[in-house]
Amino acid sequence: MSWTLVVVPIIAVILLNLPFGEGYRKLAFPAGIFLAVLQSALVLLPIENMFPYGACPLSPFVFLSPDALGLLMILSVGIVVFSALLVGWRMTDKTSRKSDFANLIILAMAGMNGVILSGDLFSLYVFLEIVAVSSFILIAMDKNREALEGSFKYIMLSAVATILILSSISVFLMLTGSTSFSAAAAALKQGNHAAVLASGLFIIGLLIKGGIAPFHGWLPDAYTSAPAGVSIFLAGIVTKTTGIYTIIKLVSYVTGYTGPVKEILLFFGAVSALLGAFAALDQKNFKRMLAYSSISQMGYVIMGLGAGNPLGVMGAAFHLFNHAIFKTQLFVNSAAVEQETGTLNMDRLGGLSDKMPVTGATSVVALLSTAGVPPLSGFWSKLLVIVALWVAGYKIYALIAVFAGVVTLAYLLSMQRRVFFGNISASFSNIKEAGVSFTLPAVLLSTITIAAGVFFPYVFEKLIIPVQALLGLL
Amino acid sequence: MTQETAQLLRLYIVFLPLIFVAGFYCVITTRNLIRTLLGLEILTKAVTLMLALAGYLTGRTAMSQALIITLIVIEVVVIAVAAGVVLNIFRHNNSLDARNIRSLKG
Repeated sequence: MSWTLVVVPIIAVILLNLPFGEGYRKLAFPAGIFLAVLQSALVLLPIENMFPYGACPLSPFVFLSPDALGLLMILSVGIVVFSALLVGWRMTDKTSRKSDFANLIILAMAGMNGVILSGDLFSLYVFLEIVAVSSFILIAMDKNREALEGSFKYIMLSAVATILILSSISVFLMLTGSTSFSAAAAALKQGNHAAVLASGLFIIGLLIKGGIAPFHGWLPDAYTSAPAGVSIFLAGIVTKTTGIYTIIKLVSYVTGYTGPVKEILLFFGAVSALLGAFAALDQKNFKRMLAYSSISQMGYVIMGLGAGNPLGVMGAAFHLFNHAIFKTQLFVNSAAVEQETGTLNMDRLGGLSDKMPVTGATSVVALLSTAGVPPLSGFWSKLLVIVALWVAGYKIYALIAVFAGVVTLAYLLSMQRRVFFGNISASFSNIKEAGVSFTLPAVLLSTITIAAGVFFPYVFEKLIIPVQALLGLL
Repeated sequence: MTQETAQLLRLYIVFLPLIFVAGFYCVITTRNLIRTLLGLEILTKAVTLMLALAGYLTGRTAMSQALIITLIVIEVVVIAVAAGVVLNIFRHNNSLDARNIRSLKG
């Protein structure tokens, strides 16, 4: 039943916080790992319709069975939560804070599954807020000055986005008397101006939540200031589910791939891809550079969606999945560097590859995939997006996508040279490879990146082709 | 549309935009962090009123009540967390001025 994906983690959080002492609360870590692995494993099992629709006895919300893209997202949620928990558990100091961290991650995981499965506009809003509130607390958890500032900025912009989303929901409610996707779509089809305005407000709210330029101001601050485990979680999956995936869902179920929607998506996507790439070029902080890179990559996803043809939607879906894998990988590497050297300033680092061979090597895999070098997975998804744009007649946007890809390669190679290659500075001469909590997810994620690239025809047929169905929903 | 509904609607058409403008004005102009949160509260109240109006106009008051109660619960959680963050910012800076929280740049 699809609702178990939401209800089980929430019940787990309640059970894990019963007052049985500190040792009992520590169970949050194995419980989170178990839920994440279970979730990914269930998606990969070769069973048709793994999560069928069934009315949930415990809540009034409607949970649909996930579509092809939903399955892909559930799989990514599992993988990223697994990596974030491993790294975050190791890097959090105090015992009590460790269990808080794990509990909040499990709660956010329930919220994200809810976003993926929700069947109407209002429950979508409820689950978006569950994820957002857990992330606010996670970012601010260290209570240092930067973390509080990043969290406050996120709270403000997220609240504004929420206001826009809620106004849009109430306009739809006023017009149709219902919050379901189909009623909203019907109101739009009649050409009602208020409905057009409402869907515009909804999309802008989601663009803010997804950190798409020019609404990206909060994103680098939040990613940079958050503790390492939380950055992995935020960059890997949170903003991608609450912002980007939800836009795909809204466009597929409510607005349809119509002319103005495509124009808006293409424009914001291209701005993001370029602005993110150029801003990443002159960053000194490792995590901040990765945050801008994240904005740029999300631009590709939005552009692929804006192409509005089957290739574009498949490319967007596959790039969303790939981004969850390789960006998580790069953030895990940055966490390993931070753990061993205590700094993320790229000017002070250098030559770490000799001392940290696993981190250095997996980072090369991830950066080549991000930059779109064959035969890694990122190459195929970028190729799909670019070809889709070209075929759809948006040749200028296709050229922008190619150009942003070149800039991506430039800043990532510069990062690799400054952090992992070159001469090591004297103060770091006695560091060693980070522990297994860092190398295990790093190796796992780079294996997925290589496998999804090399066995692309198989992955494409099994996971990506079904995503086309999104185009025919309206 | 009955006389009563029309009158109510006119009232809402005047006051809803006013509340929205007041909220946005508060969020944009103030430098005090607590006042920013109050501005967000005002905006949320405007949205809540809109939902109530929508329920009344479409005759689905039971549904809009359920939505509004859910909305209020979530809003309280968000504001509580935000107030916690503001409190901690105050402990660090000894001030509530938004100009003091600009250490992140680039």
